[in-house]
Amino acid sequence: MRSRLLPPEFSGRLHDARTATSIGRWLGLAFAVCFLTGLISHVLQHPPGWLDGDLPSRPTWGYRLTQGLHVASGIAAVPLLPAKLWTVYPRLFSWPAVRSVRHALERLSVAVLVAAAVLEVATGLMNTAQWYPWPFPFVPVHYALAWLVAGSVLLHIAVKAPEIRAHWSRRSPGTLALPEEDGPDRRSLLAAVTAAVGAVTVTTVGQSFTPLKGFTLLAPRHPDHGPNGLPVNRTAAAAGVGLIASDRYRLTVVGPRACALTLDELRGLPQYEAELPIACVEGWSKSAHWTGVRVVDLLDLAGAPRHARVRVVSLQTRGDYRISEMGHEYARDPLTLLALRLNGEELTPDHGYPVRLIAPNRPGVLQTKWVGRLEVLS
Amino acid sequence: MRTGVTRWLTGAAGLVLAGVGAYRLLGVDDLTGVLIWLGGAVVLHDVLIAPLVLLIGSVLVRGGVRGPVRGALLVGGALTAVALPVLLRPGKPANPSVLPLDYPRNWLVTLVAVAVVSALVPVVRRIGRSRRR
Ligand code: HEM
Repeated sequence: MRSRLLPPEFSGRLHDARTATSIGRWLGLAFAVCFLTGLISHVLQHPPGWLDGDLPSRPTWGYRLTQGLHVASGIAAVPLLPAKLWTVYPRLFSWPAVRSVRHALERLSVAVLVAAAVLEVATGLMNTAQWYPWPFPFVPVHYALAWLVAGSVLLHIAVKAPEIRAHWSRRSPGTLALPEEDGPDRRSLLAAVTAAVGAVTVTTVGQSFTPLKGFTLLAPRHPDHGPNGLPVNRTAAAAGVGLIASDRYRLTVVGPRACALTLDELRGLPQYEAELPIACVEGWSKSAHWTGVRVVDLLDLAGAPRHARVRVVSLQTRGDYRISEMGHEYARDPLTLLALRLNGEELTPDHGYPVRLIAPNRPGVLQTKWVGRLEVLS
Repeated sequence: MRTGVTRWLTGAAGLVLAGVGAYRLLGVDDLTGVLIWLGGAVVLHDVLIAPLVLLIGSVLVRGGVRGPVRGALLVGGALTAVALPVLLRPGKPANPSVLPLDYPRNWLVTLVAVAVVSALVPVVRRIGRSRRR
């Protein structure tokens, strides 16, 4: 059965457990950060019933940090995952291919891990460039694969625990049993992997970590590109709203004391300022200066009960995120505004002219633009 | 004995989480499409990318400068992989703030930087060594 090509021989070195452990723990850390920050993003967008009213609106930069970390650690995984797979690649050809039921299950779990991890990282990265060549919906599949990856990583760690422990440090017994002359070469490989992680991070992270925006060469967004000095996802044209005529605009507030306000009436209410980021689910973010009416003031005007949820409805005619809801923590946060101005200027149509929602610690897709109606829910 | 328990608990937790994932996957639209892409990801990696990387490594990464050469290939390859979506995404972006940069140029800039730094590493090392002598 053994042909001359299979199993192939690997003359290269460093396909050993010490190298796999060293790279694997960094990859594990990146995946752990991805999974936890991803769960936060999921919960903020699809809160389970029992959490609904209690999601915190602080810290103001919370989602900016977690989703920025999500995409940054995901990008760090782009060199780490292939490097890890490179070290263990010869094991793909281990012979006999299956030695026992246990061995078969182990190999199956590794196959699931590799398939899910490679697809998760590849599609996640492509999603940030808004490129969707696959036939399935991105978010539900990314979410399901996240659990599959997290679970099979844990299983993998449990299965490999003795080997991981034996190679954890330079002085561990398994490491010491490896050929000593490989040490410098291994350190040089690990340095190269570290440099690769550093390089992909520095050239992309400026899309959310603005102090490094000067190095933003390969990120799909740049903090300086966009109307009012702020990037945009859905434009007014794409949302089917165009330029809303200011004299025809009304904000309807539905509640115990329903009312409708013109744009001038909104401008006549006390105006507040807030420094809050737009933090996109796609990972980019930028802080901006907003001026407008506090949502809590409008709720008081409408006689809303203290614990009421609020639904924010856009005038847009197209797009997935026409309606957003928020619990009382968000609605009553004094920084939550219906903004009329951005960075000292009137909102541009693409940023939601005449009125948009801006609230702290919230994904950009929930910062509803072209707001036409506030509904007080019971 | 305690580590044995931890190990079993970790494995069990892994099975539960993976089970949640598998169960969720069964509920998504176009499961067949997902399975094809999952299989495709493994095949693409195991049959194409990994052998290619090993081949390039066995041809180019040799001798006294193997460290810097491997470093240059690895860092350049990682930058290229991260740049692939922004370089290759077909069609017009949704608006001018999406993919606003000159990515082919930027990608080349990063590769040139990698080449320069990698070429300097052995030189700097040699100078350092001769100073110490
Ligand atoms: C093992 C690695 C990863 C895990 C475990 C993971 C996990 C998650 C989870 C749980 C979510 C929330 C999905 C939801 O709202 O239902 C999420 C969202 C997201 N992830 Fe990942 N992720 C990983 C890798 C990546 C990578 C490499 C990128 C890009 C570089 C990425 C980009 C995104 C984006 C853009 C979203 C937002 C999707 C949306 O709400 O529209 N992820 N991720």
